[in-house]
Amino acid sequence: MNDKAPRNTNNEKKIIRGLGFMSTTADSNSVQVESEGGKIIRIRPLHYDWEYKDLKPWEMHAREKTLTPAMKSLIPPFSLGYKNRVYSPNRIPYPMKRADWNPEGERNPQNRGKSRYLRISWDEAVDIIVNEIRRIKDKYGMEAVLSQSDGHGETKCVHAAHGVSRRLLSLLGGYTLQTRNTDSWEGWYWGAKHVWGCETNGFMDPVTNVVWDVSKHSDAVFFWGCDPETTPWAFDGQFASRICYWFTDLGIKSLYVCPDLNYGAAIHADKWIPILPNTDAALYLSIAYVWITEGLYDTEYVKTHSVGFEKFEEYVLGREDGIPKTPKWASGKTGIKSYTIKALARYWGRHKVSIAIGNGGPGIRGPYSTEPARLQVLMLAMQGLGGLGVHQFRMIEWGIYNDRRKNPLPWPEYIPDIYHVQRGWKYTDTPRQFIPKNMIHDAILRPPITWYGTTLSRDSVDQQFIQYKYPLDDAPEIHMIWTDSPSWITCWNDTNDYIDAYRDEKIEFILAEHPWLENDCQLADLILPSTTIMECDDFGVESVSGQFCTVFPEPRAIDPKGEAKSHFEIACIIAEKFGILEEFSEGKNTEEWIETAYKASGVSGRISWEELKEKGYFVIPNDENWEEREAGLHPFFRDPDNNPLSTPSGKIEFYSERLAKHFPEDRERPPVPKWIPEGESHQESLESRRAKKYPFLVITNHPRWRTHSQHDDMPWLREIHTCKVKGPDGYQYEPVWINPAEAKAKNIGDGDVVRIYNEKGSVLAGAWVTERVRPGIIYIDHGARWDPIVVGELDRGGAINTLTPHKTTSKNASGMSTSGFLVNIEKADMNELRRKYPEVFAVRHDPGAGLRIDRIIEKE
Amino acid sequence: MGKVLIIDISKCNGCHNCQIACKDEHVGNDWSPVAKPQPMTGQFWTKVYDKVRGSVPKVKVSYLHSICRHCDEAPCIKACSNKAIYKRPDGIVIIDPEKCQGSKDCIRECPFDDVIYFNEELNIAQKCTFCAHLIDKGWDETRCSDACPTGAFTFGDEEKLQDLIAKADQLTLKSGEPESSLRPRVYFIGIPKRFIGATIFDPEEDEVIIGADVNIISVSGGNTVSVKTDDFGDFWVDGLLPDKYEVEIKKSGYKTIKMQTDTNEADINLGDIPMQAGNG
Repeated sequence: MNDKAPRNTNNEKKIIRGLGFMSTTADSNSVQVESEGGKIIRIRPLHYDWEYKDLKPWEMHAREKTLTPAMKSLIPPFSLGYKNRVYSPNRIPYPMKRADWNPEGERNPQNRGKSRYLRISWDEAVDIIVNEIRRIKDKYGMEAVLSQSDGHGETKCVHAAHGVSRRLLSLLGGYTLQTRNTDSWEGWYWGAKHVWGCETNGFMDPVTNVVWDVSKHSDAVFFWGCDPETTPWAFDGQFASRICYWFTDLGIKSLYVCPDLNYGAAIHADKWIPILPNTDAALYLSIAYVWITEGLYDTEYVKTHSVGFEKFEEYVLGREDGIPKTPKWASGKTGIKSYTIKALARYWGRHKVSIAIGNGGPGIRGPYSTEPARLQVLMLAMQGLGGLGVHQFRMIEWGIYNDRRKNPLPWPEYIPDIYHVQRGWKYTDTPRQFIPKNMIHDAILRPPITWYGTTLSRDSVDQQFIQYKYPLDDAPEIHMIWTDSPSWITCWNDTNDYIDAYRDEKIEFILAEHPWLENDCQLADLILPSTTIMECDDFGVESVSGQFCTVFPEPRAIDPKGEAKSHFEIACIIAEKFGILEEFSEGKNTEEWIETAYKASGVSGRISWEELKEKGYFVIPNDENWEEREAGLHPFFRDPDNNPLSTPSGKIEFYSERLAKHFPEDRERPPVPKWIPEGESHQESLESRRAKKYPFLVITNHPRWRTHSQHDDMPWLREIHTCKVKGPDGYQYEPVWINPAEAKAKNIGDGDVVRIYNEKGSVLAGAWVTERVRPGIIYIDHGARWDPIVVGELDRGGAINTLTPHKTTSKNASGMSTSGFLVNIEKADMNELRRKYPEVFAVRHDPGAGLRIDRIIEKE
Repeated sequence: MGKVLIIDISKCNGCHNCQIACKDEHVGNDWSPVAKPQPMTGQFWTKVYDKVRGSVPKVKVSYLHSICRHCDEAPCIKACSNKAIYKRPDGIVIIDPEKCQGSKDCIRECPFDDVIYFNEELNIAQKCTFCAHLIDKGWDETRCSDACPTGAFTFGDEEKLQDLIAKADQLTLKSGEPESSLRPRVYFIGIPKRFIGATIFDPEEDEVIIGADVNIISVSGGNTVSVKTDDFGDFWVDGLLPDKYEVEIKKSGYKTIKMQTDTNEADINLGDIPMQAGNG
């Protein structure tokens, strides 16, 4: 028996809720939060059978073994240690105004990032906001307000982390939207869709029952730039780990292709192929060369299921450009021995191989990521994609968009859909003027700008051929920014340039609302404290854990910290000032919206609201007929004419007529995918001239110990040595991995503070000398908090994105490119830095959490 | 009979949930008389270490764990000059935070590293309690085992876990004595030994050599392990004892290779080894 006293006695509360960090309503990481006397005591996994003893988990049988979900949630360490985040010394305690920003006089935009802040009251803050919006509206029109309100965050419904203010801005007359590009899917979205359709995201779709099919039929799974022990954590929890162990138990070979020994490879890999970053296209082409020259591919399938193979073959064999794409040719580019490439090609050609991906690796954030993403699909096609054991599947985001066909694991009977109830941003609420997220700096500093595609994840490929522009002919440029996702600096592209844009005098007012004083908040003129997930009443659905699908009412665990309010409450207060509260809230308060979510969840016929509140959660039964459905693209494999793909030809397109027609001159995303080391948009290859000066490729993965920019302040994580490296000055630096051979050549020792730099600036980091990374590259996670020494030039926190390339994926592909770019690295001269910037080195940090709010508050 | 904890290293994915759960339970929470609060940072009543083994591209990570063994013959109990350390009937060893008067005898006498910590602020020694305050409230497991996502941690009653205990590694103390002499209540399964690996190739043909016979012969007279190179020309043999080895690689049509290696200090990646055509 576990200790299960009744919930919500006088002083003691036990609350079941989701603690995932997707931010849309697809929650995971269900926990029980136990609090006493207004303080959180503990956070622990939910045991699904606490209230439901007769739960029937699904059972997957393969090779005389059985996989089932665990009877408890498999939460990641950030959910478990979330008290750290709630009680962070960097929480924003009250509304604050930048000390030298005066809405009635001097605004001093050039001091953003340097200024200190003054405490103001909520009344003063709301007055300033209302007056500024009225002034901007009168002077320029409402479209001069940019809404930055997307991305990940705490997964909430009524008090959604992002975009609650959009509805308010719409009611006030409109706004310009920052549209979020498909930042972890770029290659699939801008590339693979042109090969196999698979709307709307570009990775294999549907993936129904693929894990079962792989378990039964595959000889090997190639984890291509995929880290199943990192990226799924925040969104899905740790069931991916159990799947990896399961594959190994079944005798399925796990092969990892990645420049670093990622956390999955570290424990699951039967073989690690440490490829140089962003050279995967060359590897794929040389594998195709071996298959074509040795007859190791499914010629019949290619005939019946694809178009344009002959053009691809011409390129691979060198008939088009005089360069046969031999293993020897690829060896020099990829850093993999040619005999290993041949062995890999032959193994693949003779075995049933599926590919696991998961928001990492070459298909997402490199320059020209369209090419490896497209080529990966073509490789699968040459081996009979959709046949038994030949699939692509994702180790993350199982069943996103509440779509069961996007889940490769057995299904629940249905996924409760409360998406339309949630008060935050939605994929469908795009106003007429918008700017892709990765072009905000260009929009501010270098207008007008044009680009192709909305960049939105749920839009189909058709809009990739439409050119958009900013500003619209009859719309103003932006002059005010309202952000509730102030983490651009540490997550997006060429962010030192973005910092310049934020300091441009054109931007008259920047409003940020956030629980923590981190990243872009440090550039805002007015900062509002918002609540964490523990401090508001809400409603949640666990739908992407891969285990059980559950719903829970989510009463608050504790009262709001300091003067914090939820984004919904903030928007309501401002709406009331404008006299439009009724329209904004649709006449409902928080409690009524929670009940609306309960009704929308579809469980009301199965459990009453009172009983649900009493029990704390409800588990949706499994679909007992899950085994009946065909795996993945098997219908296409079986009968391509009657089950066509969504490409123009209905087949796999080795050559894209559509790309050829729309972009005949595009050498960066040609109709046949190619090896493109550099081009008009990027010179970020070891073959580039810049490599003489900046000889290291740096890869920036999704962080192990953070969710992008979230959780960088958690002391219990920061004392793990792969999370932070304590420098001789006591500061906890972001680790950068460097191979012992490179470290020796550079005279860098383990634990040294180093400077990573290129033309865009410098970032300090703490060296970890390790065999977990191949020579020729360095590795540093993205998302570390920005802690500028010199704003826009030199960062101490490890915000590597300040150095990332500026341009999009390629000329006509509007994704971003932030991993695999050129830098140099050297031991930092700490004495010199201390001498030059004494005020920075004098700042007092929390020994556990690092940045403290008081560093930025002006003492009165 | 009493409580035991079994940690299966081969199932540990390194998420550190055990370490974090312990902090969640004990930092800022006062569970007297079992334990006073743990400081925010710096103490690890259960700790995870990552051990990076081998070299590019034959690298593995093993996650090792340190935690109080709750020994039945606990040196700390005997060592404490204030008699502040006691064993409960269920086998759990507790440092009584009221009786502890800042003696560090226990830390000195404990044969394990990173188990007992000293809290300067409270002037007491502190360590894992097997979450005795929760067990007493009816919990059937500790916070660390509750938080473990892979099943690497198993906590429970000794008599019910005999099958698992039987699989535990036989470990040796730094003194050379067997760890069992202390009758510990924490067991480990699958503590990594050593590996030897390599890729075998034919430099003339520029091909890996598949199916070569590899014999790994213990110089000190232990067992010989024989394997064949796989589809990638690789062999990668784990579970070897620290020792000196002769590695013999044979393939018909090639000259046999014999080389010496030593796993006493570390796992060994012999790298890419060329085989020359020829006989014997």
